[in-house]
Amino acid sequence: MKSLLFRRVRQVIPLILAVIVLNFVLIQLAPGSFLDVMSSDAQITDPVMIERMRATYGMDQPVYVQLLKYIGSVATLDLGYSYRQNMPVLDAILSRLPATLLLMFTSIALAFVAGSAAGVLAAARVRTAWDNTVSTIALLFFAAPGFWLGIMLTILFSVQLGWLPVGGMRTVGAATDGLAGAIDVARHLALPAISLGLFYAATYTRVMRASVLEVARLDFVRAARARGLRGTQVLWRHTVRNALLPVVTLLGLQLGTVLGGAISVEAVFGWPGIGSLLLDSVMSRDYPVVLGIMVLSSVFTLLINTVVDLAYLKLDPRILAR
Amino acid sequence: MSDLSRRQFLLASASGAALSSAPALSYAADASATPKRGGTLVATWGGLEPQALFVPAGGGNSPFFTSTKFYERLLKLGTDLKFHPVLAESVEPAKDFLSYTVKLRKGVKWHDGQPFTSADLVFTVLQYWKPISVGVPLAGLNAAEATDEHTVVLRFTQTISEFAFKSILAGVGGLVIPKHIYEKGDIATNAANNSPVGTGPYKYKEWVRGSHVELVRNDAYWAPGQPYLDRLIIRWWRDPASRSAAFEAGELHLAVFNPFPPPEIERLVKTGKFVAETGGYQNATWQTYLHFNTKNEVTSKVEVRRALLQAINRKFIADTVYFKYAEPGIGPVRPSNELFFNADIPTYPFDPEKAKKLLDEAGYPVKNGSRFTVKVLAPAWFEENVKTGNYIKQALTDIGVKVDLITPDRATSLKLLFTDYDFDIGLTNNGTPLELVPEVTMLYTTDGIIKGAAFRNNSRYSNPKLDEVVTHLAREVNYEKRKALAHEFARIANTDVPLLPLVVNRSTTVASKKVHNHSNAANYTGESWGDLWIDS
Repeated sequence: MKSLLFRRVRQVIPLILAVIVLNFVLIQLAPGSFLDVMSSDAQITDPVMIERMRATYGMDQPVYVQLLKYIGSVATLDLGYSYRQNMPVLDAILSRLPATLLLMFTSIALAFVAGSAAGVLAAARVRTAWDNTVSTIALLFFAAPGFWLGIMLTILFSVQLGWLPVGGMRTVGAATDGLAGAIDVARHLALPAISLGLFYAATYTRVMRASVLEVARLDFVRAARARGLRGTQVLWRHTVRNALLPVVTLLGLQLGTVLGGAISVEAVFGWPGIGSLLLDSVMSRDYPVVLGIMVLSSVFTLLINTVVDLAYLKLDPRILAR
Repeated sequence: MSDLSRRQFLLASASGAALSSAPALSYAADASATPKRGGTLVATWGGLEPQALFVPAGGGNSPFFTSTKFYERLLKLGTDLKFHPVLAESVEPAKDFLSYTVKLRKGVKWHDGQPFTSADLVFTVLQYWKPISVGVPLAGLNAAEATDEHTVVLRFTQTISEFAFKSILAGVGGLVIPKHIYEKGDIATNAANNSPVGTGPYKYKEWVRGSHVELVRNDAYWAPGQPYLDRLIIRWWRDPASRSAAFEAGELHLAVFNPFPPPEIERLVKTGKFVAETGGYQNATWQTYLHFNTKNEVTSKVEVRRALLQAINRKFIADTVYFKYAEPGIGPVRPSNELFFNADIPTYPFDPEKAKKLLDEAGYPVKNGSRFTVKVLAPAWFEENVKTGNYIKQALTDIGVKVDLITPDRATSLKLLFTDYDFDIGLTNNGTPLELVPEVTMLYTTDGIIKGAAFRNNSRYSNPKLDEVVTHLAREVNYEKRKALAHEFARIANTDVPLLPLVVNRSTTVASKKVHNHSNAANYTGESWGDLWIDS
């Protein structure tokens, strides 16, 4: 376990360097700079002012100098300044991060629990009406884009039934702390978390179903049955525990990619998170923010994968031996 | 049809006549009802969140929409197209039009309790308007002197017409800012741009980035009884579908400046709970322009430009792409501009056969399947631009011109259109106030050619005769003479046609029927809304 952690820490620095260089190059390749957007946003028409901004933001220097300077500042934990947010990049990201983390963990937890349970159900009742229903619903959610699902849920639960708010994270001006505040946030969280979670739930269902069916055919399960254990005991103690491994792998991978799905869901629900910040920043070529989010999310992905590796050890101790 | 009111009927049957009579429709139906005090109103607009609540250099409609709720201007332009006092009690020109005397309203306080005085205006004029927001139209201004606590005299080196000057005072760049906050540091990056201290009816309370800004009643506001609302929430939605869902769920009450596409507007109006209003945009009408690059080989020839324009059916674009929420463009001065429009200019009506003939005569017959190739750039910042671009491609293909159509995102489009000039035919969208100098004229004049500056003369058309007419237009003080100069400007512009408005867009406000007294100014997006009230 210690060697695993050591290996991970050793990977951080080259990984971040690679992320920075790769993203920096990609951004340089994209046409249009934030100078174009900024002068248009601020309606600047004075050529002297445009030149002054070019110098202020270091864009008069060669690209490799800009890259080296950026790497240097990241090394001192400075992610730069965002002209569009009018604040340091780190502050801009940190102010949006809690909202995204909340949305992400809620929807993934929802997806993991609901998806795995549905998968086990489908596998346990394979080729029955249960299995068919679960598989069809899973396919439907897998195919439906998150933003479309979001709009449909809004129309049903907010517009038609009036049960849940349309968007945002809090009721503006209402109590923001204590239990009332938590309930308020939960009410706002429900629809975005469900529309983001259903897509992932669908993948878990399908993977879990396949995995349970596969494990159920293995010798040790047959042996457990032969020993006279009851069906549910065999299912939960022997089959499901072993079938969880691929689902946990998936969980780790998805926690890293959920940001991508969150962008469209955040846009639909006006959820003030990283996803909408990233979209805004790409559209306005606010590179410091884009790079900052990439760097932080690569660190985050690495962290998650380490946690997933540790979870493997717990689920299947044989992994350590390899 | 029976469930549609007269206003919606006019909206649905968009004709040229309905648009030019827009001022007649523009007051809210119940202006005579007694205003109720209290309540919270949630408003939005058809675009995204601004980068700061107040962007000193202007920054377009998004910061303008927020900043005008707490900062005020000296005057406002009413739907009657007359100027009404706001922070000024009067603005009077001297006989020679070389100076103007501004009498300020007394008893006005900034939100932090400091009194508003002539020192604030002098600071605003010299440190903010002149160097940052309205330097071009105020080029002739050389002094601002406070003669007493509430009087400021502005002196010019050249004459400026009363309408042009008052348009600046009532315009996007004419906000008055507090000296005691802004005198330290750089105005452009001042922290107060995100947490402003103004004189307006609403005070800043909180900005949750990515979501909304909360404004509360200014109890010390100068207009008696105003504002009527306790709270004004400005929220931003990225997605038009969520805006209309928020309306239906009762979480949004008022949305200015085209919050969603026309079919959605009509669907909401049919529920009977909402009204669609096209008044309130007389001084902020949008036009979609077609620019020719006059430095590229083929499009530098005026015969080619005229022929290509005759191949494009502008009415088709207005009816199909904009669902009749637009009308065909004619020339640089839009038909709804009651002050300066003149129909007696060269026009280029849709006639593809004539277009073909003109191109043959210009030396571009069809050879190997086409006459020549043009690169058409339709920026995807509005989805209508992409549709218009596709139509233009089809229309020009029909007369034997090969078209390379590109529809890049905003940043790429801005670079290709205004920095690299990498296009033959480009589409843009510009707001056009009633006053032509400088917003409209800078699309045509030589001093409008500024590399890297967006929404300026990117056709790079330059004609000394037109430049001279515009210079006179800027300095002339007699209205009749200005009108004649404006007609001359439009005539030259449409003779050479470096660019032409394809359509004049019809902007729309959607409001819940609970909201009263809206759309009552010539640019409602930028009004302070102190007189707005809502049924509890």
